[in-house]
Amino acid sequence: MAQITNIIRLSFRDYSHEWRMSGCFILALSSVLAPMMILFGLKFGIVSTMIHELVENPVNREIKPIGSGRYDDAWIDEYRRRGDVEFIIPKTRALAATIQLKSTTANRIVSTELLATASGDPLLAGLTRVPKDYYQVILSQSAAKKLKVNTGDTIDASLARQFQGKRERVHLPLEVVDIADEVVTARSVAFVNLDLLIASEQFKDGRVVEELGWEGNSDAMKERVYPSFRLYARSIYDVENLVINLEREGARVKANVGEINTVQSIEENLSVIFWIIACVGALGFAFSLGASLWANVDRKRKELSVLRLIGFKSGRIIMFPVLQALYTAVLGWLFAVLVYLAFEYLVNFFLAPQLNLDRALCFLLTEHFLWALGITVVIAVFAAILGGFRAARIEPSDGLREI
Amino acid sequence: MTVIYSLKNVVKERLIDGVGFRLLVPEIQIRSQENIALVGHSGCGKSTLLDMLALILRPDDCEEWIVHPVDGDIHDIAKIWRQDKQGRLAQIRKQHIGYVLQAGGLLPYLTVRENIELPRKLLKLPDDDSIVSISKVLGIERQLDKLPGLLSAGERQRASFARALSHRPTILIADEPTAALDPITAQKIMAVVMEVIKGLKITMITASHDWAHVYKMELRTLKLESETVEGGNVYQSRFSD
Repeated sequence: MAQITNIIRLSFRDYSHEWRMSGCFILALSSVLAPMMILFGLKFGIVSTMIHELVENPVNREIKPIGSGRYDDAWIDEYRRRGDVEFIIPKTRALAATIQLKSTTANRIVSTELLATASGDPLLAGLTRVPKDYYQVILSQSAAKKLKVNTGDTIDASLARQFQGKRERVHLPLEVVDIADEVVTARSVAFVNLDLLIASEQFKDGRVVEELGWEGNSDAMKERVYPSFRLYARSIYDVENLVINLEREGARVKANVGEINTVQSIEENLSVIFWIIACVGALGFAFSLGASLWANVDRKRKELSVLRLIGFKSGRIIMFPVLQALYTAVLGWLFAVLVYLAFEYLVNFFLAPQLNLDRALCFLLTEHFLWALGITVVIAVFAAILGGFRAARIEPSDGLREI
Repeated sequence: MTVIYSLKNVVKERLIDGVGFRLLVPEIQIRSQENIALVGHSGCGKSTLLDMLALILRPDDCEEWIVHPVDGDIHDIAKIWRQDKQGRLAQIRKQHIGYVLQAGGLLPYLTVRENIELPRKLLKLPDDDSIVSISKVLGIERQLDKLPGLLSAGERQRASFARALSHRPTILIADEPTAALDPITAQKIMAVVMEVIKGLKITMITASHDWAHVYKMELRTLKLESETVEGGNVYQSRFSD
């Protein structure tokens, strides 16, 4: 115990006594580590985040039917249950899916496209509320602007038809539960519950909608079929397979397969390039750190021999360079983190706004910093143990005769 | 008087492809409070023998090697080396041996006081006035808080003696401790050291190629025969009582 506390004290005294040399070791370490961290910060910031967003953008994951088909509830359900489908919801005929909206704050009637939505809709991913019944709606940004309404307002929706030679119009109040982000769509869209979309089609077809008190023919309801649907794959990697599947079942669909392949290959190539640079850099880092710590043990052979002469055991002597390597590792890492954080601040503060990015261009998570520390310490201690073993193995009398 | 060192047929070779140096010790016995001098030209193996006596150099062969610090256990060094128990040797060094190197061997990052204290700290000896008193005797009490780099060569050797003696070892080994000093300083230091070791009942073994000291200080000189053997390839030295 006395030996261990003494070794800790001595190694630290020597380290601070040789502060110039120690400073050089620290600088040498951080000048390799800091660029590695910056590289990783950029890779993580740009490559991961931006490409991830590209990959996850619902537009790239959407599979659109071409023309109109015949899809029943069972078919839709089957696809909803698939692991590679994130979201699917039926669409009615485009002509039947328009609604006229009017608010008290704007003096115009806005003709709006009706889209069915439900929870889990990737288009409305950021929103917490979903239209639960006939009387709720989420407006697209453009529709809300035209109507001059906000979340919580109630608007008047109306549908018109020619029925038995007369022109008819029905009204119902809609509560605006949320407003979709601008990036979702530039069109005027009202996202509603599927029931309302179906009711709208029934009304326009001249059929009765009992729940809303809309009159019409109550001829025996055939099995419901939808001409179209809105489908999003779980990820872009599932798109191609889904398309093949749908086409095999006779559906005619299109998707951004070409674009997806481009994005995918960019991501893969960038990742490969990054990992090549990272591996070469890490290897260089390990060698430079190892070499300097190894050389340091050699330089200290005489002093280590003196310690053995005084009566320190070999095992304790190894601790001396190992502890000093530990000081270098921790201080070098600390300095590299400071350099990295300064760079990160500059990039994110000056460069990101120019690129019109609302998120950080360069950033690392706490765990990345800790990983960097862990790897540095392991390499440093490993190199020092190798050197230390050599120092402890040589007979102390050899080290003493060096000068 | 107790026999502190007893060596029989010790061999140490430094040979590369059959060419080099061989040290032989047929028999040496060193008694307590004897002061031994190894005298000879450089390269005759003085330092090699001292390092072996200080237990920091492994002999290639030895029939008997006993160390018996007067008030300690009897250690069979031959056996300890055979079993490669380096820890035991470190323990004996720590407790019983003080070593003074030619160039001092002070740790440059510790003050003189800390250097002198180090052997005491390793043995967990109490902090008493022994550091100050030995420094006074050796004339370095004013240098205690300086780093060794700021000391003159003579002061460094004095500090080195102080470190070697601070934990009251049984044995003091000094390898040409005055080689780097002028003769007057050298004599002064050695006179003080001789006095201290007499007072502390320490056995000193020192190497010197300077004959003058030997006569003045009444040391027992070991017999040394050197010759070239094996067709001129091996330089062989033989130390004996």
